[in-house]
Amino acid sequence: MTPQVDGLIRAAQAGDQDAFEQLVRTYDQSVLRLAMNLLRSPEDARDVYQEAFLRVYRNLHAFRFDCSFHTWLYRIVTNICLDQLRKRKVRKEEPAMVETSEGPLDRMESFEEDSAHADPERSFWNRELKHRIEEALQDLTPRERMVFELRHYQGLRLRNIGEMLGTTEEAAKNCLFRATQKMRAVLGEFT
Amino acid sequence: MSCEEIAKLIPLYHYGELSPEEEEHVDEHTHLCAACTRVMEQQRTLAAALDRRALEVPSHLLEDCRADLMAAVQGGAPRAVHTGKGPWTLFIEAMAHTFGSLNRLSQPIGAVALVAIGFFAAKLTNGLPGSVPGANLASITNPGGEVYSTVRSVQPDPESAGRVVISYDETRRCLLKGRINDSNIQKLLVAGMYEDNPAVRGESVRMLKNQCSSGEVKETFLNALTDPNPDVQMNALEGLKPLAGDPQVRHVLGQVLRMPANDAVKMQAIELLAAHRDETIVGLMQALVQREQSNSVRLKMEKALREMNASIGTF
Repeated sequence: MTPQVDGLIRAAQAGDQDAFEQLVRTYDQSVLRLAMNLLRSPEDARDVYQEAFLRVYRNLHAFRFDCSFHTWLYRIVTNICLDQLRKRKVRKEEPAMVETSEGPLDRMESFEEDSAHADPERSFWNRELKHRIEEALQDLTPRERMVFELRHYQGLRLRNIGEMLGTTEEAAKNCLFRATQKMRAVLGEFT
Repeated sequence: MSCEEIAKLIPLYHYGELSPEEEEHVDEHTHLCAACTRVMEQQRTLAAALDRRALEVPSHLLEDCRADLMAAVQGGAPRAVHTGKGPWTLFIEAMAHTFGSLNRLSQPIGAVALVAIGFFAAKLTNGLPGSVPGANLASITNPGGEVYSTVRSVQPDPESAGRVVISYDETRRCLLKGRINDSNIQKLLVAGMYEDNPAVRGESVRMLKNQCSSGEVKETFLNALTDPNPDVQMNALEGLKPLAGDPQVRHVLGQVLRMPANDAVKMQAIELLAAHRDETIVGLMQALVQREQSNSVRLKMEKALREMNASIGTF
């Protein structure tokens, strides 16, 4: 934790709202990116953001600097996201449209390869690959999905991920292994 | 080690999560085993395909989230005016409200301001209202005559029993208003970028973003690339965009790639560097790309190398 973040936390704990706002701004972009990529829905990501930082606001007085603020915050965020993913597993649904800088976009189209337009065969192959990837991701358990997201997209170390999820590094390693195994199996001939 | 054991280690190998000994085992095994080499290739293809589905957060969504949160924090009521701006912006803007008192200002108030804002204010003397007619500085005020005191020492008066001697520093809060392109205002904003408060640094860098043609601003922005706050770093990079060809700027951007920085900051630095090909940067990226931990940064570096017609990695 940098001395500056430390100072912001202490000031926010003492009731300084500007410090709280600055603290939020230090971390909120990565929190929103995590929620957006996991849930593939701007509305759900917005809910996660709001609930996570309100929990931080209400419980900041209890933060005792016995772990990094980043870990503490991500424990809150990952718990909320996992709840959302579990609810979705029950409902078996996933939003089809996502918000991008160019407006709403079908999530399948959001990773169209640029050069694919010139080559119909390649374009078809890419569409099929994307379809398989979405299928593979939906087959993961919420916890596998979370570990994979935090390691692959957020670049966090498995030791930190274990700490955030209240488990061991070994358990996080197993989750990552299972996640990649499942995806490789679903992708089959595409990889 | 058997193929089954190696297959279990391959995802961890890909993400750099193995011990050096385990990595060596995997390297040795895959060197001799075609099946495990194929699994390793599959892992890379999978990772590359997954990278392409990463979503970026739309900036308006982030701003909306922030506004909603701060409204909720302040008791459920929306802010009277949600500006999303920090104290420095509000400070500068608040001066508009004190503009009415400008007519009452005179040289003595200017002198008070010099004490309050110290060294940098000393350079403002020529720009103060009343000193140079038509100067860009519109107002400098001390609303409500606020004075802050810090007691430095307290002791009995050695010359008179029953009396005390107190030593204290006095600070007066002043409000200053002027155009962003005014060199005196810029000096204060540059000072703001060295403040302890990250909100002040953040707002100062945002305001100076289009003023990098000034040497002093450029130097400060280069310093800001090592700021601990990623928001300050990102805005400094944005401001340095027009100077992406400047050798000094490129040298510092190269240093950003070497240090443990935020992924977004590194990616932005790579983008600026890729706009102009030079051999030093190509060599640096080729050296760094293999050991970069973050997939996004590594892919960005690979793309930059391709754009600069360079091979990925050194052979």
